[in-house]
Amino acid sequence: MFMLTKVSDLVQIAPEDFGKASITAIEDNINAKYANKVVQKIGLFICLWDILWTSEGLIGHGSGLVNVNVEFRMVVFRPFRSEVIVARIMSQTKEGIYLATDFFNDIFVPSLELPDGTKFVKEERIWVWKEDDQDMYYDNNEMVRFQVLSEEWHDQTPTGPVDAEDPAAIKQLSPPYRIVGSMKAAGLGCYLWWEE
Amino acid sequence: MKILEAQNALLSNYEVYQHLVDQQVKNKAHNRRVPAQLSTLTTEVITYLRTKPGPLAHQEEKHAYSAASIPLLMEKLREANLRNSLEKGEVLSILNLRPAGVAQLSTAIEDMEERFTEEEQQKIVDITAEVLGRDEPEVVDEENGEEGGDGENTAVPSIENGY
Repeated sequence: MFMLTKVSDLVQIAPEDFGKASITAIEDNINAKYANKVVQKIGLFICLWDILWTSEGLIGHGSGLVNVNVEFRMVVFRPFRSEVIVARIMSQTKEGIYLATDFFNDIFVPSLELPDGTKFVKEERIWVWKEDDQDMYYDNNEMVRFQVLSEEWHDQTPTGPVDAEDPAAIKQLSPPYRIVGSMKAAGLGCYLWWEE
Repeated sequence: MKILEAQNALLSNYEVYQHLVDQQVKNKAHNRRVPAQLSTLTTEVITYLRTKPGPLAHQEEKHAYSAASIPLLMEKLREANLRNSLEKGEVLSILNLRPAGVAQLSTAIEDMEERFTEEEQQKIVDITAEVLGRDEPEVVDEENGEEGGDGENTAVPSIENGY
């Protein structure tokens, strides 16, 4: 679920941070820039793990910033394919079930990836798995296990102004990183079903 | 920014959890303020990892996981002489999910039925429980008390009622 990514970057320490120890200033700078950010094809950056190397600090002309080249490792959230992780059911529609963890919201399980014999109850807006005359409900806020099927990346780079009159041009912004999961196999779905 | 190595190493949930908790303790001790989004995210990740059925839910009271338990688990799995060896990702999943039964183990291991015999599956579950501990099923005292009062259903020691 988590992994380490090695990154090199230029860290600029502003004069107001000179009161801090250099290492602390660098750590804060990196965390402020990267924590809780999605980088395309890498994953969601969580926090700094360790600093591997730093250059000497150099002050350029015209500003008081200290420039330091740093190599460091970040903790990144990026579950591998077919990994099983735990998440909470947030909402359900006819298309499938939306899941989230406390820190990551864009997980989707399409209806095709629910076990056979699963029906959507329109009135209550929940999915029900009918197995051996037993109804098992995918209740909202229930913790479930799901398997990672694939991931989708949507670059958030701005594309320039769009024509406000043309409704086709105004697309809804898709999340930068989205996980598509499955709850079909044995052991997946609400964790309470599989307690022994 | 330049990515030097996209995947330098895989981390288990326990390692991430311990790192975040250590950072929090350290920052508190030095009375240090960290960037706002980091403190929010740290809290959220810790909350997530402490949520049931995650095996770290009772880590602060029971200390089931420790730095030594990861190599120990791998050592024991090697000693078990399984017919097929486990992949790296599968050992990681076992660490993260701590399967308490064969049904849960099947989510961590691909094609489990073909690759391992039933005894081997049970063995992996037993090793996991031995090294990483397991949560006692919640004891439902009230129900047991009522049943016991009837006289016809004296509590039989089993996993279910927590004996």
